[in-house]
Amino acid sequence: MDYILHLAILISIYTILSQSLSIVAGYSGQLSLAHAGFYGIGAYTTALLSVNFGLSVFITLPLAMLLSGVIAFIVSKIAVKTVDDYFIIITLGIQVVIFSILNNWQEVTRGPLGIPAIPSIEVFGFSFNSKLSFLLLSIFFVTIVWFLISNLVKSPFGRILRALSEDEIFTKSLGKNVYQAKIISFTISGMLASIAGVLYAHYISYIDPTSFTIDESIFILSIVIIGGMRNLKTIFLATVFLVLLPEALRFVGMPSNIAANMRQIIYGIALILVIFQYGNRKNKFKMKRT
Amino acid sequence: MTIQILINILLSSSVYALLVFSFRIKYLTLRFFDFSHAIIITFGGYFTYLFSVLMDFNLFLAISLAIISSVIISLLILQFIYKPLQKRNTENWQMLVASLGIYIILQNIISIIFGDENKSIRTWEIKKGYNFLNAYITGIQITLVFSTIILLLLTWLFLNKTKIGKKIKAVSSNPTLSSILGISNDKATIWSFIIGSFLASISGILITLDSDMIPTIGFNWLLYAVVAMIIAGMGKLRYVFMSVVLLATAQHLSAYYIDSKWMNATAYIILIVFLYFKPYGFSGKKLKKAEL
Repeated sequence: MDYILHLAILISIYTILSQSLSIVAGYSGQLSLAHAGFYGIGAYTTALLSVNFGLSVFITLPLAMLLSGVIAFIVSKIAVKTVDDYFIIITLGIQVVIFSILNNWQEVTRGPLGIPAIPSIEVFGFSFNSKLSFLLLSIFFVTIVWFLISNLVKSPFGRILRALSEDEIFTKSLGKNVYQAKIISFTISGMLASIAGVLYAHYISYIDPTSFTIDESIFILSIVIIGGMRNLKTIFLATVFLVLLPEALRFVGMPSNIAANMRQIIYGIALILVIFQYGNRKNKFKMKRT
Repeated sequence: MTIQILINILLSSSVYALLVFSFRIKYLTLRFFDFSHAIIITFGGYFTYLFSVLMDFNLFLAISLAIISSVIISLLILQFIYKPLQKRNTENWQMLVASLGIYIILQNIISIIFGDENKSIRTWEIKKGYNFLNAYITGIQITLVFSTIILLLLTWLFLNKTKIGKKIKAVSSNPTLSSILGISNDKATIWSFIIGSFLASISGILITLDSDMIPTIGFNWLLYAVVAMIIAGMGKLRYVFMSVVLLATAQHLSAYYIDSKWMNATAYIILIVFLYFKPYGFSGKKLKKAEL
């Protein structure tokens, strides 16, 4: 039972991550590979503050969101000048820089040793240390994030995002501030990702830089792409599928050292198939129009 | 110590230059960042390991077999993934994601077959290297520098003096116009793939002759090459040399004065600074034309 709860918590954390990435990737049309970086910033901020200063999550969560929001803002200020391939490379660069800082700035982050003994979340004397209570807490956050994003994309601002992902120059010609919209969406996405980081740090109670690598970023991006970029429901389903996939492989009886590679191979294949599918859909759409 | 740093800078720059050339040729006709290029670099090393260490072939035979098989794999990727996708009018970012997918699949296949631990194709004893003004350089490193220079010269001649090279350049500057003039886009793409993968697998072999390899080795090196290519921009080739020397110098100086752990971060910080102040690199020529 504990094991199922554990998987459910992981699914909630990844749902927050992938849905927050979909604001950037799906709506404003920029693929970001820096998402695990913001996830890591959230986790490290809360871990360091709660271990060193004993601050409660009421303070660490806003601080984590603020910090990754500020960093995301600066990053997007630079990255927004570029398109497509360049955007991916520059976000990849940010991811590598954040990882290097987590891994190498040993005086603060303890480097590869990681930060152990992170206390569990306490709210008004109630400690979320059992798995069931933590699951309820993470479902609470998933609901908030889901609600926020689905309202955001329906708002006038969301319409600008959708318009610019279809045709940036046309949107600009309508007098919309494309750059500002991109920057705001990137910042919001970074802030939401740090929520997932906070949850993860307090849940696992031990973090080290290897949880926030470039592979993690690719994994989150794959979830979003396989989930169809925009649709929050299918992104959730894709999260469930990709998080449960390694467990399914283990269930089949695959040795664990091959299972990790097998899982990556499967999502690599899924990525290629999805891209083929996108091509098909676009052609159909064109045929209908003509 | 200064001499040693200079030698290290020279070695890194020559590997970067080779990689940038190989990546750039593919980029000329493909027009997106092909991440599967990373796996061709890795294949160079691992096929050589397979043929020379596991199957016990002569080293030169093994190297030529490795190069041929890497080129064939890259052509298969082109034929069965990229061409069908291009027929479907996929956008740039979608092609890039597909190439990332290919990279993930092939890299994990290598991990399953060969394992994740360090492998080396050096079966011979490691020599101390030649002493040169109190700095050390090994025979392999000298080979690396010279073969890079020769290969770069040959590639330059190929691109500028042969018919196929000129076709590649024509397709890269305007695919529609060149197809109107009867230059086959497909043919140019295939040739650019052959040359690009040839250079990539050789650089993979040279890298692994000099140090050990792990399945993700290609990706790390490719990212440096991408950084160097962006810094250089798309103009004349001399900008490529400027950018690789700048990148290598910054990395080795940061390794010497701060710590070698920060080499990765240094490369990207340079990239970010460049993209902010000089978005089109040294050459100032746009890598990507505005698509209207």
